[in-house]
Amino acid sequence: MDESQNPVYKDKAHGQFRELSYSYKDGGNFDQTVGFHDQVDRLVLQQAWDLFHERIEAAKQRVLAGEVSPIVYYMEKNLLDPLNLSMMAGFSVWRVKWHFRPGVFKRLKEPTLQKYAAAFNITLDQLKKVD
Amino acid sequence: MVKLEFEHRQAGHCESGVTRNLLNYHHLMISEPMAFGIGAGLFFSYLPFLKMQHAPTTSFRVWPGQVFDRATKELGVTTAIHKFRNPKDSMDKLNEVLEQGYPVGLQVGTFHLPFFPPEYRMHYNMHNMIVYGHDNGNYFISDTVMEHLVEINYEDLIRVRYAKGAFAPMGRMYYPTHVPSDIDIKPSIIRGIRKTANNMIGIPFPLVGVKGIRYLAGRMRKWEKNLGPEKASYYLGQVLRMEEEVGTAGAGFRFIYGAFLEEASMVLDQPWLKELSIEMGENANKWREFSYLGSRNCKKRGKPEQSYDFLADILLEVAGREEKIFKKLSTIKS
Repeated sequence: MDESQNPVYKDKAHGQFRELSYSYKDGGNFDQTVGFHDQVDRLVLQQAWDLFHERIEAAKQRVLAGEVSPIVYYMEKNLLDPLNLSMMAGFSVWRVKWHFRPGVFKRLKEPTLQKYAAAFNITLDQLKKVD
Repeated sequence: MVKLEFEHRQAGHCESGVTRNLLNYHHLMISEPMAFGIGAGLFFSYLPFLKMQHAPTTSFRVWPGQVFDRATKELGVTTAIHKFRNPKDSMDKLNEVLEQGYPVGLQVGTFHLPFFPPEYRMHYNMHNMIVYGHDNGNYFISDTVMEHLVEINYEDLIRVRYAKGAFAPMGRMYYPTHVPSDIDIKPSIIRGIRKTANNMIGIPFPLVGVKGIRYLAGRMRKWEKNLGPEKASYYLGQVLRMEEEVGTAGAGFRFIYGAFLEEASMVLDQPWLKELSIEMGENANKWREFSYLGSRNCKKRGKPEQSYDFLADILLEVAGREEKIFKKLSTIKS
């Protein structure tokens, strides 16, 4: 396989690093080689990134349609799930999910929003809308 | 300003690579497979109730941190391990230890790690790397995933050491303080093999060890019917990501373990281990075949090319092989 090309990765920055891997050839020889990702690595990693991007886009559409609060969009953008977000922001999972409702989100006080903004590393104004 | 004379060597797996590099610095020359084998790093577990990146977690290794802990304990190396509540304390302690002349291993989260390959920047808090010096707020890092040495600044280092979420590192740092000069590694190899064999076939719980592989095979047969083709393909992809990515050096550590058995047969002078290392190598190639065939199902919007029944049959064969290998290994004598 051509090592310098990225046949599967859509992001040009992906797959630019050489890594060490082990292999075995019949006859009892274990080998170490340093090389770029092979086809299997590329396929399964790209699959994960495809899913992330799909989820981010879907979340954005739902926020714009007014179904959920912008927290959902920023959660997906940071590749988080409610459990991890609850650990980062310091709320229970139940409360995080409660804040997903647009009506509840509008009534949230500033200190609460500040915690979310800190977890996502953005400003308060950014948190209130999707970019 | 401190910069220790540290030899950077790339490794297949972050934790065993860090263990090897730290011990080599203190003149204990062991290889990466040896560190991995003595630390009893090989394992299998399938945890459907614990979701990671929206799919069940499959793990091919023991709990993070155990390889270093076990390997150093078995070898009789004295170590220091610290965790901190306050980030400032942890950085002060890091500087202090570096100035005493010890390179330090750190547990970090990968999401904000600036030099890390971008395709791996997901929330994974169990990565390990070594700091070997600092200069004016810049820290010199030896990361076994990377080919070359790298640097990181003070703010970024605090951020990755205090990454939040599952398995938060809490600034965990560890380093060997005293390495005896006359270490007999033979008994520790035997204990490491026994521990791994017990982990793989001796735990009476259906989700871990060889039983876990069989359980996963059983679940895999139902994925397409229960979850639909798209989700089934993503679940399969998750197993393969855990097997081939996240620093396993291929085939879920089975290659490293084969190399360890080969080395152990020479050190212990027990030729039957060499035969088992060949079996382990063939077994690893079977895992590799599984991931090669399975990855065809993971193409974007592609129809599944391999039936999940067929892939599950490969898993059952692998489980049978591993059970045989570890049954033999559990009878090891000095």
